[in-house]
Amino acid sequence: MKKFALAGNPNCGKTTLFNALTGSTAYVGNWPGVTVDKREGTYKRCPEPVSVVDLPGIYSLSPYTPEEVISRNFILDERPDCVINIVDATNLERNLYLTTQLMEIDVPLVIALNMMDAVEKNGDAIDAKALEKKMGVPVVEISALKGKGIAELMDRAYRASEKARRGETVLRDSPLAHLIRDVTIALEGQKVSAPLFHAVKLSETDEIEVKMHPELVRMVEEFKATFSDDTFGTDFEAIVADARYRYISQNFSSVLTKKDAERGKLTKSDRIDRVLTHRIWGIPIFLVILFAVFHLTFSEDFLYLGAIFRLPSLEELGLMTADGEYINFGAQFAAVFYDGAVYSPGVMLTNLLSLALDSVSALAAGWLSSSPAWVSGFLVDGCLGGLFAVLGFLPQILLLFLFFSVLEDTGYMARVAFILDRIFRKFGLSGRAFMPMIMGFGCSLPAMINTRTLADEKERTATIRVIPFFSCGAKLPILTAIAGAIIYQLGAGNADVITYSMYLLGMATAIVTVILMRSTTMRGDVPPFIMELPAYHLPQFRGLMIHLWDKLKHFVKKAFTIILVSTILVWFLSHFNWAWGYLDDEQMNESILASVGMLLQPLFTPLGFGSQLTQYGWIFAVAAINGLIAKENVVSTFGTIAACLGFALMDGMDEGVAEAVSMMQATGITVPALIAFIAFNMTTIPCFAAVATAKAELPKGKFKWTLLFWLVTSYIVASMIYVIGSWWWTAFLYAAAFAVAIALIVLWNKRRPVSHKVNRGEEAE
Amino acid sequence: MQPIEIIVIAAAVLFVALVTIGAIVRRKKGKSSCGCDCSSCGGCSACKERKEKKS
Repeated sequence: MKKFALAGNPNCGKTTLFNALTGSTAYVGNWPGVTVDKREGTYKRCPEPVSVVDLPGIYSLSPYTPEEVISRNFILDERPDCVINIVDATNLERNLYLTTQLMEIDVPLVIALNMMDAVEKNGDAIDAKALEKKMGVPVVEISALKGKGIAELMDRAYRASEKARRGETVLRDSPLAHLIRDVTIALEGQKVSAPLFHAVKLSETDEIEVKMHPELVRMVEEFKATFSDDTFGTDFEAIVADARYRYISQNFSSVLTKKDAERGKLTKSDRIDRVLTHRIWGIPIFLVILFAVFHLTFSEDFLYLGAIFRLPSLEELGLMTADGEYINFGAQFAAVFYDGAVYSPGVMLTNLLSLALDSVSALAAGWLSSSPAWVSGFLVDGCLGGLFAVLGFLPQILLLFLFFSVLEDTGYMARVAFILDRIFRKFGLSGRAFMPMIMGFGCSLPAMINTRTLADEKERTATIRVIPFFSCGAKLPILTAIAGAIIYQLGAGNADVITYSMYLLGMATAIVTVILMRSTTMRGDVPPFIMELPAYHLPQFRGLMIHLWDKLKHFVKKAFTIILVSTILVWFLSHFNWAWGYLDDEQMNESILASVGMLLQPLFTPLGFGSQLTQYGWIFAVAAINGLIAKENVVSTFGTIAACLGFALMDGMDEGVAEAVSMMQATGITVPALIAFIAFNMTTIPCFAAVATAKAELPKGKFKWTLLFWLVTSYIVASMIYVIGSWWWTAFLYAAAFAVAIALIVLWNKRRPVSHKVNRGEEAE
Repeated sequence: MQPIEIIVIAAAVLFVALVTIGAIVRRKKGKSSCGCDCSSCGGCSACKERKEKKS
């Protein structure tokens, strides 16, 4: 089977084209660096099936990060039958830099001028035929997003792959032409493949090439000794780059016709950027947008209409009795949308699902009414209770994910990385580190893998360590369930504020720990941050739906496998003693689970959910440990055990929240301890899968320290919240402790020099 | 013991065993062990290669 490689600059549409060619649903994001590894698919419309390989984006073939090494090695070592170079037509000159390098390799090459629809929309024009003539390789106009020109592209790529192509360089007239020719001849003598490409790279004294051909370095050094450029001296890499850009500018600017009226004017994206990336207002705007997202997802008082206009409750309207019973189904259905306040879309959807799940539970309980008590208890309270406590949050998880996807697809998240760079830099990270962190809001696994785009090893390690603090979708049920319980306990407040605050707490913890790491064990300069800001565009409905479908599929699959297995085990372990005797609900404190939980309980005493709780306090310890398998298990543990506690679950409450309230009543846990419980679960060791990924991605010797880092951080953060929340004056003691710690760090740093280490592909393995 | 009790116990044991064995098999095949289908992830093949190397 023929193999075609898709190569191009970051964010030029390679993965969009890959999806269009292969029918895949690979993750596409409107920011550079989404794809960090190659992936394969099959295109079936050529005379024979063709394997298509989507490569990570690269600006040049001089790689600095692991994913750039992957692209370079694939093109050079795997020898694809054709390289399809995707060029962002809205940014022709910069994209052609890589093209001039690809042309030097002995491989058939086809240029795909992508985003031609955007070029036409801007009123600009590109003469593809003239470009083809100048480049000497086929050029095809396409729009990967709209599926235009794809058949022609593959047809020309297939024809190009039929015959061999010899590399050509645009450096024929450069000052290094002689050197390149001599080295090429020497490499041809050694039967090296793609000798021209290697010769150019060797002339630049490229690190990888120097290692590969040490015998030819002398030839370059001798040439260097007799050569000096007026501008660049003997910096051959700069001389080559300058020669390439000169060539591009002289030859290819003529194929681009800009709309006269637009010359020198600000584009729409530039005008929006003036507001959204404002030096002062940029960050407050981001925080407001983030709050709006949480308000739309979690608020039980949409736009605070209920508080402003003092809207009547269902009870005041006569639709609900004082005992909390609805007068009819219509009233119960109305409660999905309103009760003294209009609910936000996220809460409405959750209420709707809870109504359906309650009906299923009631139906199952009815069917099993004649069966033995333990069977009914196991299936309805145990399995369904645990499962539904988690599934109930699915609408809010999906909605939050949808909002983040919209922000990302529009190009706004890339701007956030830009505006945060100024702050992150002060803390020892570049803005580039923000993108994996944002991915961490969805799932820590891809986020940790995405840190490969960070060139500095220390920055990468620090970023991997703090990614779990950016609450992933699996932690959302914990946040929402406990937030609901806190509001119930306080009799006031709004879930959106609590959830938003906990997300901010996660970010603040990340910032503080990064400062600590970067000023102690991981000192070093912050690498420069250069990121191309993508143009703003409306999110693609299809793309958003694919994202949501993926999320839904993963969540439901996880719920009916790992989470259901955990609920079954939790129920059995909580209803059997060490002698394998069955225990009734009231005897649960004698169970295997209770004895293990009680053993661990004292460890959590400084965090507020340890030995100070009443007889069922062990449940919090068990839930926290169970959360290490999958974070959803925290709430599913509550769900499985809540029905057995003898406290009637509150009517009208969402799945999960009612169980958390029941847990609160049974154990007498305080509000500061509940917040500490959330904080602990947010910042402690993440799920098994994330731990395995961290182990693989972290440099050698860092993993054990990372586990310890997560444990210590979560313990300190949660205990601080509990202690300060319970005894406010202790805040002064913590402040004093911090002041001492800062002083010690300053003194420590004075004695230690800063070391540097760059994360290269070979070292990342 | 009633028949329904035997059926429930057998079904629960079978389900737990199947999910556990399934997770182990997936892991050995180099697929995600968390139960998610990560084929759409940008680092999917990296995970696979990494697991293959280790095994």
